[in-house]
Amino acid sequence: MEAYILLTPSLIGFLLFLLAPIAGVVVISFFDWNLMGSPRFVGLANYREIAGDSEVWRAVRNTVYYVVLNIPAQTVLALLLALAMNRRMRGGKVLRVLFVLPWMAMPVALGIVWNWAFDPQHGVINQFLSLFGVDGPAWLSSTTWAMPVLASVNVWQYTGYTMLFLLAGLQAIPESLYEAADLDGAGPVQRFFRITLPLLRPSMFFVLVTNTIGSFQMFDTVYVMTQGGPGGSTDTMNFHIYQQAFQLFRSGYASALAMLLFALILLVTAAQVLYFRKRTVYDFS
Amino acid sequence: MSSSITSSSSMSIPAVLRRSTLYAILLIGALLSVGPYLLTLNAAFKRPADLLSTDAWTPAHPATFANFADVWNQYGMSSFLLHTLAVSVVVTAGQVVFSAMAAYALARLEFPGRDWLFWGYLATMMVPQMITLVPLFLMMRDLGMVDTYAGLVLPTVFGTPYGVFLVRQHFMTIPKDLESAARIDGATTWGIFVRIMLPLSRPILATLATITFINTWNNLIWPLIITNSDRTRVITVGIAALQGQHASDLPHIVLAGAAIALLPLIVVFLVFQRHIVRSIALTGLK
Repeated sequence: MEAYILLTPSLIGFLLFLLAPIAGVVVISFFDWNLMGSPRFVGLANYREIAGDSEVWRAVRNTVYYVVLNIPAQTVLALLLALAMNRRMRGGKVLRVLFVLPWMAMPVALGIVWNWAFDPQHGVINQFLSLFGVDGPAWLSSTTWAMPVLASVNVWQYTGYTMLFLLAGLQAIPESLYEAADLDGAGPVQRFFRITLPLLRPSMFFVLVTNTIGSFQMFDTVYVMTQGGPGGSTDTMNFHIYQQAFQLFRSGYASALAMLLFALILLVTAAQVLYFRKRTVYDFS
Repeated sequence: MSSSITSSSSMSIPAVLRRSTLYAILLIGALLSVGPYLLTLNAAFKRPADLLSTDAWTPAHPATFANFADVWNQYGMSSFLLHTLAVSVVVTAGQVVFSAMAAYALARLEFPGRDWLFWGYLATMMVPQMITLVPLFLMMRDLGMVDTYAGLVLPTVFGTPYGVFLVRQHFMTIPKDLESAARIDGATTWGIFVRIMLPLSRPILATLATITFINTWNNLIWPLIITNSDRTRVITVGIAALQGQHASDLPHIVLAGAAIALLPLIVVFLVFQRHIVRSIALTGLK
C-alpha cells in the first residue's frame, strides 16, 4: 500500500507522458493527419512513402555520417585525456572541471558562439588561420565542411564529459594488476592493450552506447547552426522529423520517420551490446 | 596530496620533459574548453564597431555594458530568464522529490510487479525523446495546455526513468540494518524514508538536482513546440529567435544574450561540480 503511494506521482508521469505517447506514435504512423481536421487511416502508406523518399535516405546518410565523424573522435580524445589525467598532479582537479565545462553549455547559446567563430570574415577560426597565411573556407555554407563543423562542435562539447566516465573506469582498475605485469616484464604498450583496455570495457560500453544513442538524436546544434543546410547537407533524421511534424504538420509521416529512427538506434545499440557481451570477460563488481 | 614539487628535483631530465609536455598539452586542451566562453564574454563587452573591426582575442577596450542592457531591456531577456528560472526550479524540485519516492519503493518495498516495473522504466530510457513529441503535443493541446506553464512543466515534473534509476542505485547501497533498527523503534515507512534514506543520500540528490536543472534550463525542443508567445517563452527559445532574426545585423546583441544564458549555469555547475564528479565515479560503471 505504502509502495503505491510512494510510486503514484512517478507512475502518473511514466504512464501519461512516456508510455502513452510511445503508443501514440505507433498508432499515428498509420494515419494521415495535419494535427487539425480528422485523421485518415492510410495503413502502411507512410512507410511506403519513406521507401521512395530520397530526402529521408539522405537524412539517414547524414545522420550516420555525423555519428561516424563524432563518436570515434570523441571517444579516442576522451580516452587519451583520461589516461593523461589518471595520475596525481598539481592542478588536476581544476583541469578536470575546465574540461567538463563545455558539457553543460546551452546548445542554443553555443550555436550562436560557434556560428560567430566559424564566420568566414569576422570569425576567430579564420582570423587565426590568416595569421599563418591560410585562407579559411566559408565553413557553414560549404556542403563539404558544414557537417564536420557540427561534429567538431559536439566533440568539443562532450569530450570532457566522456572523459569523466572513462577516468572513473581507469581508477577502478586494481593497481596490483599493473604491478604483476611489471614483474612479468610487460612494457607500456602491453600494459595498455592487455590490462587497461580490456578492463575499461564496462565504462567504454556505457559511454559508447549512451553517446551513440545521443548522437543519433542530434537536434539542437543543427537547429541553431545550419537548419539542415546548405543544400540539405546537414539535414539529420531528428531535424527532418521535427520539420515534417512541426513545420509541415505531417504528423503521420513524422511518426513513421520516428519509428524508422527508433529502429535504426535499436539496431546499432543491439550490435554494440552483442559486440561487448562477447568480449567482456572480467567482472569486478 | 601531490608531491610533484619535491619529486621533480629528483626526477631525471627525460621525465621532467615528459611531464612538462603532458602539462602543455593538457593546458592547451583546457584552453580550448574554456576559450569559447571567454571569447563570448569578451565579445559581449565590445562596442558594435569594435566587434567587427578587431580580432576575437583582442580585449574589449573600452568595455561597454550597453549590449547587456539592450538585450535585457529591449529584447525581453529579463522575462525569458524569469520564465526559465521558474520552470527549471519547479521541474527540478518535482523530479528530485518524486524520483526519490519512487526509487525508495523500487529499492526497498515488497510489492507485486516491482521488478517488472523497474525494467519497464529502464526500457523507456532507450526510446528516443523526439519519437514521443507529436503525441505529447496532441495530448497537451487537448488538455488546453499549449502556451502555458503547465504545458512546459508537466511532462518532466513527475520524474524521469533516469532520475529514478540513479537514486535507486544509491538506495541499494545503504545498509538494511539501519531500517530494521528504526522499525523496531516504531518508525513508519514514511518516517524511515524522510529521516534515514534522504539524509544519507544528499550527494546523489544534489547531483540529480544539478543534472535536471541544467537539462531543463537548456531544453530547446519541447519549449519550442509547446510555447508560441512571449507570455511563456523560455530563454532557449528566445535566444534561438534572436539568432534567427538578428544574427547578421546585431551580432553584439546576440552574443550578449548568449553570455547571459550561459552564466547562471556555470555558477550552478561550479557550486555542485564536486557532487557530480563523485557520483559519476560511483554510478557510472554499472
